[in-house]
Parts: sequence; structure tokens; C-alpha cells
Amino acid sequence: MSRPPAVRIEERLILAMGGGGFTMEPNNPLLDDYVLSLTRRTEPRILFLPTASGDTTAQINAFKARFAHRTCVAEHVSLFRMRESTRSLEEIVFAQDIVYAGGGSMRNLLAIWQAHGLDTLLLDAWKSGIVLAGLSAGAMCWFQAGVTRSSGPPEALAGLGLLEGSLTVHADGEPERLPVWLAGVRSGELPGGWALDDGVGLLFRGKRLDRAVSSRPGAGAQRVDAIAGELVRTRLEPELLLGDGPARALGGLDEAVEELRRVHRLRRGIGRGGN
Amino acid sequence: MPSRAPQIVALGGGGFSTERDGTLLDDYVLSLVGADRPRVCFLPTASGDADHYVVRFYRRFSPGCEASHVSLFRRDQGTGGLEDDLATHLLSQDLIYVGGGNVLSMLGAWRAHGLDAILRKAWRRGIVLCGPSAGSLCWFEQALSAFHGAPRPVRGLGLLPYSNCVHYDAEPARRAEYHRAVAEGMCGGFAADDGVALHFRGTSLAHAVSSRANGCAYEVRADAGKVAERSLEVSYLGDPPTAEPKRREPALGCAARTPARAAHERVAV
Repeated sequence: MSRPPAVRIEERLILAMGGGGFTMEPNNPLLDDYVLSLTRRTEPRILFLPTASGDTTAQINAFKARFAHRTCVAEHVSLFRMRESTRSLEEIVFAQDIVYAGGGSMRNLLAIWQAHGLDTLLLDAWKSGIVLAGLSAGAMCWFQAGVTRSSGPPEALAGLGLLEGSLTVHADGEPERLPVWLAGVRSGELPGGWALDDGVGLLFRGKRLDRAVSSRPGAGAQRVDAIAGELVRTRLEPELLLGDGPARALGGLDEAVEELRRVHRLRRGIGRGGN
Repeated sequence: MPSRAPQIVALGGGGFSTERDGTLLDDYVLSLVGADRPRVCFLPTASGDADHYVVRFYRRFSPGCEASHVSLFRRDQGTGGLEDDLATHLLSQDLIYVGGGNVLSMLGAWRAHGLDAILRKAWRRGIVLCGPSAGSLCWFEQALSAFHGAPRPVRGLGLLPYSNCVHYDAEPARRAEYHRAVAEGMCGGFAADDGVALHFRGTSLAHAVSSRANGCAYEVRADAGKVAERSLEVSYLGDPPTAEPKRREPALGCAARTPARAAHERVAV
């Protein structure tokens, strides 16, 4: 099949969330609306990969509930129940504007993607300008490394390495990951990186951090590096997302698109919601 | 632990996974174990550890067995501590029952958790390994997986030096796909209908048994560039043939079950 050509590196977008979105914030659509705003399409095609959960019905239903009535074309792909599909994974992936990876076991996610060749497909998708997004395991997987509880206790695990550095998630909700991550960064086992609270998303353009956003007040993030064996921490101040805001800030979007989104949001009475 | 011969029971489909009313295949597998209250561990990996599948396993096996399961997706939730040491737990079983689903996803997850090595060790120690569908394909050198897109050969754990094809009667195109794969270089092997189990001792096929009177199994191999298929003798596990002689006939007459199939069997690809 023919694939879209590669785009310039600054047009390659990844949104990595420390938690949040439809699986974790059923009453707060801010991060998910932000994900949709990251493409130039009026009606973006979004693919959900629930692999890290083992394709649980709960995650798939939550995805449908969140996106079915938004201005997008939503579908999911199951790597456990694909018998009905006649399209190849390549065809499915390259038909998208956004690929959104869910949370769960990072170890299983990577192993299963690799078994199906989806790791290389997603790398190519990113290079061709398809937006990659995800939370938790579905966020850490894009980095050089993450901290996973896939085998029980938290431990460092190498990711796909599309983004430099390490990521640890649920910094507020599952604080037991933090000491493992900090020790890894201090010892050099892990590269420096970011710790994200639930509800915080980091937007990368190419490999560069472009923006930190959040779906709730008080949610934070920090950058940590080891310099001469000492940990140097820098707090990030994520911008609180507002229903109408994110598309404009990104630039490049048709005003009519924003208008359309605004109308859709108003009609459903969302966009002002908090937690 | 006394050394026992390695045994694998590879189901073309059936058992508690899909046969609601029958226990013939699962009873056959349990009969190989030789323990009053066998320790049976379920691996539902190929289904993504689907809850409903785990529940059905316990419903079937907890009455007569020490039943447990290992989830590779919920290890962070530490179910009862048994997953702290996968190897110790699995190597203390009498039977490891692998569920159906996607064989590629399952093998990937197994490798990531070191289960491939543990299962190889379990097999050598004589712990009986069994399962339908993906739980059959995984034990072989190669297998035909038709999970997404066109069917294609996948590499299994290689405990059995053959290829495997399951649900052989379930989809009309399955036979031609398997023959094509063997013609194109996949190693020769065994195909089983739904409800048929291939029982291997060591790496030799010892028996083919069926929960259905008309269940069939075949050996398929490439001979001088042509694919040859041979019907295997399949023992029906239900009522004794003498009690109902009519039910015996199809079991022994696989090749002639329908004209279409019979014709196809003579076709060399």
C-alpha cells in the first residue's frame, strides 16, 4: 500500500499524558479534545490501541463513549480479537490522523506491538505526521524508558525511543514509582526526563517539548536530570486547558475549524467542565 | 519430582472454551495427569486475560482440581501473591491449560515475562500442556494464524517439530491456506477440526481423540513438491461405538464426509 510521505521533524507530534483522558477522567474531556485539536483535519480519524490493557471491553467502551459523538471518525484495533478484520494493520494505521494508546502493562504493550510489527508501523506513522498520543503505558512507550509496574513492583523499562529521555506517570496517583525513577536517573540507569501527575500532558514537536497542558488545576510536572551525580529538579507549570483554547494556541488551524469545534462543544454543553 | 514423559494435548478447538455442554476433551486431558486433585493453572494470555474466560475456567476446573490462573496483564494487582514467582508456581502444576485467542500477542507477552522458557522446562518435566486454538498452535515449530488479514505462518515455541493448523473444518478456506503454506515452505504438520485433540508423547503423535463423532485430523506434508494430506484415525470419546454404531462411521470416514472435501483432499497444490 502507498504511505504518506515523511513530514519535517517539527510536524511530528506526540502527546504524552501522565494519566487522564477518557479512561481516567470520564467527566473531563479536556485532554481528549486537546488530542483532537492537534490535527488540521475538520474531522480527524482517531485510532485507539487498547493493547496495554489486554483490549479490555471497559477501555474500548470508554473510548467509544468519549469519541463517538465528537467531530471525528473513531475506531479501535484489537490485537486479541482481530478475527473479523480484513484490513492489515498497516492499512488501518496509515488511514489515521491520530493514534491513541491506552494504559496498562507497558511490558506487554511493547512485546505485543513488536510481535505484530506495530512498533515499526507506529514509528513510520509518526514520521509521516500522524499524531501519536497516549497515557500511562501508552505515554511512556514513546520515550527511551519508563517506570512500569507490569511485573508487580515498579521497575525501569526501555521504550521505543521516539522521544529522548525517560518518563514516569501518575506521579501524584501512584507515588511509589517516583523513588524508582529518581534512583534510576541518579545512577545513570535512566536518562533524565519528566514526571507527570494525572491530568498532565506534554506535547512534543519532533523531539522538543513544546507545551505542557493539564486538565485540572493543581496537576503538576517536573523535569529531573542528574548532573554530577546530583538530581536537579525543575518544576513545569502546565497550562490549564480550557474548552476553547488549545486549537488557537497551536496555530495553523482554519478559523472555520475552530468555529465548528466551538459550536459542537457548545451544543453538547462541554468544554467548561472541570473534574 | 519423578520424571514423566513430556505430553502436549493440542486441541483444534473445543474444551471448556467453546463446548458448553461437553467435558470429553477436558476429561481426556485430566485423565493423563494421574492425580486425585490435580493442580491446574490457566494461562488466558491469548485472550488478553479476558475476565469471562477466567471465570469459565474456574467454573469448569475448581470443583475437581486445585485451580489457579496467571494473568500477565494484572501483575501489578498481585492476585494472591501467586504471581510473585511465575516459575515456581507454574513448575508446581500437573497441567497447564492455555486458552485461545491471538497466538502472536500471546507469544509476545510470554517472551516478555520469560514464560517461554518456563513452559519449555515444564514440558520437559512432564507437566501436561494443553489448549485449544492459540493454545494448540503455540507448542509447534510453526503455525498458521489467521487472526488479521491473510493467514500467515507464525513461529511457535517449537516444542513439537511440526506445523499446526486449527479449526480445520470451521472455515472453508482454511485447508487450502494450510496446503499453500506447506507448499511454500512451512514444515509439514498436523491439522485438527474443532473438537479434535492431538495428543503428543514426547514429539510423537500418540492419539487423536474427539468430542464429536465426526471430528477429523490430518497429517499434511510436502512430498516431492506436492502437498499430501492423510487422514488420521480419530477416536471418538463419547458413547462407545458398539452402543451406537451409526456414530462411528463418520469418525473413520473423514475423507468422504462431503464430496467437496473429499475432492479437495486429492488436490495437490
